[in-house]
Amino acid sequence: MIKLDNVTKVYNNEVLALRDASFEVAKGEFVFLVGTSGSGKSTLLRLINREEAADRGEVWVAGGNINNLSSRDVPKLRRKMGNVFQDYKLLLNKTVFENVAFALEVIGSPKHVIRQQVPAILELVGLAGKQERFPNQLSGGEQQRVSIARAFVNRPLILLADEPTGNLDPATGEGIMRLLDRINKTGTTVVMATHDRNIVNMMRRRVIELDRGIIIRDQARGVYE
Amino acid sequence: MFSRIGYIIRETLANLTRNLTLTIASLLTVIVSLSFVGFVFLIQDAVGNQLGTWKDGVEVSVFMNPDASLDQIEGVRRALEPAQNSLIRSSRYVNAADALIEIKKLFPSTPEMTDLFSKDGQGVPTSFRIKPTSTESTVISSITSTFRTMPGVSIVRSADQAIAFIRKISSFARWGLGVGAVSLLAAAVLLIWNTIRTAMFARRREIEVMKLVGATNWFIRWPFIIEGMVQGLLGAAIACGLVWTGKNLWRSKVIGSFGSQLNFDTLQATASQFRSVIILLLVIGAVAGSVASAIASSRFLDV
Repeated sequence: MIKLDNVTKVYNNEVLALRDASFEVAKGEFVFLVGTSGSGKSTLLRLINREEAADRGEVWVAGGNINNLSSRDVPKLRRKMGNVFQDYKLLLNKTVFENVAFALEVIGSPKHVIRQQVPAILELVGLAGKQERFPNQLSGGEQQRVSIARAFVNRPLILLADEPTGNLDPATGEGIMRLLDRINKTGTTVVMATHDRNIVNMMRRRVIELDRGIIIRDQARGVYE
Repeated sequence: MFSRIGYIIRETLANLTRNLTLTIASLLTVIVSLSFVGFVFLIQDAVGNQLGTWKDGVEVSVFMNPDASLDQIEGVRRALEPAQNSLIRSSRYVNAADALIEIKKLFPSTPEMTDLFSKDGQGVPTSFRIKPTSTESTVISSITSTFRTMPGVSIVRSADQAIAFIRKISSFARWGLGVGAVSLLAAAVLLIWNTIRTAMFARRREIEVMKLVGATNWFIRWPFIIEGMVQGLLGAAIACGLVWTGKNLWRSKVIGSFGSQLNFDTLQATASQFRSVIILLLVIGAVAGSVASAIASSRFLDV
C-alpha cells in the first residue's frame, strides 16, 4: 500500500529531514512512527500525502509512484487517504456536521450522499447527537473524533495520523486509539506518528523508529522502547 | 454538480461581505476608471458624429464689403461658377435680408444684435456660401486665397479652423481621460488582486483543509475568481449608470440648450454607439476582475 525506496528529504538545501528511508506497509497494516521531535516522523507523513516531494528515492502509494505527480493528480491521491492532526484542524465557524460534510462537499459528492454518510460516520466515532455543535463547544477528545470522522468519511485506503493523541489526556487518548483500531479493522491502512509511549506499548503493533532522519528500528509488534 | 454551484455562490457572497472595506475600495476604483473609459469612447463618438455632419455641409463663406458695388458682387459670382473654378461644386448668394434672418435665428435671445441693423437689412454684409468639391484643407485654403483678394470682398471664412480646433480639444480630452482611465484601471486590477489575496489569507485554514481532503485547485479557486469577476462587473454596471447619467445631462443641459443655435446638435453619441460602449465597459470590468483574481488565486494557492 505504501512503499518508500531510499527516500531522502532535505529542507532548504541544508536541513536533512530524512535519509535513505526504505520500508513497505502492506494493506490493512497499523504502523507507529516513533522518535523524538525533529526525528523525521512528520516529514515521512508529508511525503506520503504529497505535501512534500522526495529529493531522492521513490515513494509509492496505492500502487502508483507519486514522485512526479502533477499538481492535477495530487487531489486524486489525497482522496485515497485521510489525515488526522494533533491540532485537529477543524473549521471553527462550521458545525460538527458541516466540518465532516466539507470533506465530501469539496470532492463533489451529491447532497443525498452527504446527508446519509455524515450522520453514519458521526455515529461510528461516537458523536451522534452532537452534529449541530461548534468545535469550541466540544472537548479535545471530541474534536479529535470530528477530525477522524472527516478523514474517514470518504472511506480512504490509508489514514495518516500525526500525533493524534498529543493534546489529549491518557484516558481520552486511549479512546481515540480504540477508534483508530476499529477503523484499521475495516481494512484501512493506518500510519500514526507519535511519541506516546503508553499507547505504543499498549497496542503492540509494528513500530518504525526514527532518529535524526534515519530509520533505526523497524519491528513487528514492537514497543516504544 | 448542483451542490457545487450552491457552494460557489455561497462562498462568493461570504467573501464579498467578509472584507467589506477592501471590496468597496476596489469597487470604487473600478467605477471611476470605467466611467473614464466610457466617457473617452462617448467623446470620441460624439466628436466623430459632429465632424461628420460638419464635413458634409462644409462651407466657405465669402463676405462682401457692405458697400461693395453690384459689379463687384457680379464679378465674384462669375468667378464662383463651377465652370470657372474646378474646386467649387456649388454656391449661393445670401442677400442682406436673408443674412438678417440668419442672425435672428442665431441669436434669438439677444434682439440687441439685430437692432444694430435696420429692418430691411441695410448694412448687413452679404455673402456667398460655397460648397467645395472636397473638404481637404488644401482645397479649402486654395479657395480662400483665390477670393480673399478679389475686389469688394471683405473676408473669407471656412469651417476648416473650427474643425481643427474641435479635433485638438477632443484629442486633449481623450488623452487626458484615457491616461487617467488606464492608470485607474491598473489600480483597480491591483486592488482586486489584493482583495483576493487577503480573502485567501483569511481562509488559509480552510484552503489547507480543502487541499488535504483532495479538493482540486480549480474547485478552491472558483469562488475567488467569481468574486473578482463580480467586483469587476458590479463596478462596470455602476460606471455604466454614471456614463448614462452624464450622457443624458449633456444631451438635456448642453445640447438641448445650445446645440441647435450653435450648430452642434450632433455632438453626442448615438443610441447604438452608447450601447456598444456599455457592452464594452461590462466586458472590460468582467475580464479585468476575473483575470486579476485568477492570477492572484493561483499565485497564492500554495499556502
